[in-house]
Amino acid sequence: MMTPSWILDILAALMLLVAAASAGRLVAARPWAGSSGEADIDVAHLLMGIAMAGMLVASLTTLPNDAWDVIFALTTAWFGWRVYREAGRQGSRVLADGHHMPHLVHSAAMLYMFVALSTPAMAGGGDGMGGMGGGSGMAMQTLNAPVVAFIFVLWLSAYVVLDLDRLSGPGHAHGSYFFAGRSLAGATAGVGSASLAGVSAAPARTGTGGVTVPDQATDGGHPAAGDGVAAGSRPAAGSAFLLSPKVAAGCRIAMGVTMAFMLVIMI
Amino acid sequence: MSDIAIAGGRVARRGSASADAVDSWQRPDARRVLQLCLAAIWLLDGVLQYQSFMFSKGFGQMLAGTAPGNPGAVARPITWDARLVEHHAVLLNTIFATIQVLLALGIAFRPTVRVALAASIAWAVGVWWFGEGLGEVLTPAASPVNGAPGAVIIYALLAVLLWPSDRDAATAAFPAARAVGAQVARALWLVLWGSLVYFALLPGNRAPQALNGMIAGMASGEPGWLAALDNHAAAVLAHQGLAASIVLAVVLALIAVGVYLPRPAARAMVVLAIVVAALIWVFGEAFGAILAGGATDPNSGLLLILLAAAYWPARAAVTAVAPAQTVAQPADGAEGATA
Repeated sequence: MMTPSWILDILAALMLLVAAASAGRLVAARPWAGSSGEADIDVAHLLMGIAMAGMLVASLTTLPNDAWDVIFALTTAWFGWRVYREAGRQGSRVLADGHHMPHLVHSAAMLYMFVALSTPAMAGGGDGMGGMGGGSGMAMQTLNAPVVAFIFVLWLSAYVVLDLDRLSGPGHAHGSYFFAGRSLAGATAGVGSASLAGVSAAPARTGTGGVTVPDQATDGGHPAAGDGVAAGSRPAAGSAFLLSPKVAAGCRIAMGVTMAFMLVIMI
Repeated sequence: MSDIAIAGGRVARRGSASADAVDSWQRPDARRVLQLCLAAIWLLDGVLQYQSFMFSKGFGQMLAGTAPGNPGAVARPITWDARLVEHHAVLLNTIFATIQVLLALGIAFRPTVRVALAASIAWAVGVWWFGEGLGEVLTPAASPVNGAPGAVIIYALLAVLLWPSDRDAATAAFPAARAVGAQVARALWLVLWGSLVYFALLPGNRAPQALNGMIAGMASGEPGWLAALDNHAAAVLAHQGLAASIVLAVVLALIAVGVYLPRPAARAMVVLAIVVAALIWVFGEAFGAILAGGATDPNSGLLLILLAAAYWPARAAVTAVAPAQTVAQPADGAEGATA
């Protein structure tokens, strides 16, 4: 008996939604125009969403496993570098609540899933993972070194509940884009916008004379954003929801739960 | 944090002292951390429940396997439930798994923490009966090494002890005492660990090969390194059932009364409880057999570790600060409101 395919379909749809939301965030924030924010994280979410959808449902497979190996090795290295830089400023504290640490864990978990996948002989070939539902006659795929999967599951579960706690606690600002000293998420950011009042409290000078822009969104005082900045106007109100911290956290939570699910059923 | 001043497209970094102003996310206190740990374990439970095996008839048969040895009044509903699950495995297991994931998310999400904790108590009690046969406490097979008195009842106990209200926050000696008071919390600890003493001394556990067989049996299906650990531990305990049971009972009895001791000794006993729970989890329960596949939960060892952490004696300074924090977070559903 396999995990019912409709459950995998629902999760694949959820992952495609995460990918779409991440793509929407990228478009709305226009990082190429210089907004300071979470472009690397959204790109990673976009890739993970597409990859996981392909793992869950065979027909959604997009790239060969080797390509995903390389992609997630790169994202793991990238976020490893970001965590290393954070650790230089904050020390070992980043391991518990560093801003980029969850993304490093997500990337590493994805890399592990692709590298450690052991496809039974009867599962057939194909470029992708073939989908966990497997289709008719396909055996369940399993992971080598299941203890690593278990550790990742514990870690991912911890980040999911921490994200929810932060999301529902006072002062959530995780995942915002900043532009001209203000959160692009705007007033719809809910609790996030409340915390951003602190960021925007310093008068933001606009116009050609100069703009004061915080280079780092903060999550509990931790750096969160990249370095690019540029002057410009805020995006349309329709983009505000996409750019809100709630959407970023929601994507992380959905991916964390789905990734934990995938790891567990492949142990 | 630093700010960047932009002028004419040139970027210059300048220092700023505004970091504290935006550090508005408040770190959770000890009880909230424990609640989040409980939520994470519920989430682990939920995703484990989505494993392929749980959607098969085998899951219903596994539930039915908890009925034998229990009194008829306990066993009959288990058998009825198991048959129902066997016939509607996909639907019911999906519901079960989803409920557990929702409990996890509900506990982690502050506005719903009370509802989720209350629901988790009801759910845990139901699972304790229908899914674990009351943890086999009414059967001769109960043993602290294999999960008695039932992992899921410890979830319920933790939900009670970590309930977000403060009976005596100002003087709470440990996080578990905040909601129910130190006396009740200590009594619950005594009952739980005292029951483990009793189970350790049951005739079935005193038999020469009882512990050996129990631990060796956990090696099946586990990764090589864990199977080797189990087999080695089983070999050490071969024909030592009586002595091992007595030693275990003495240690568990020390832990049971440990919370009544002065703070330094109480801390030592809590550490001992964590060590014993970890040994049980690794050797007796093989991490709940999760690595072998088909496990529904991480078993009791992990929960006992979390429970022991809830009894860690607080420093006087910390307990003095606790009420102020509570007042400062009125919107925080987890910690802000008092019952």
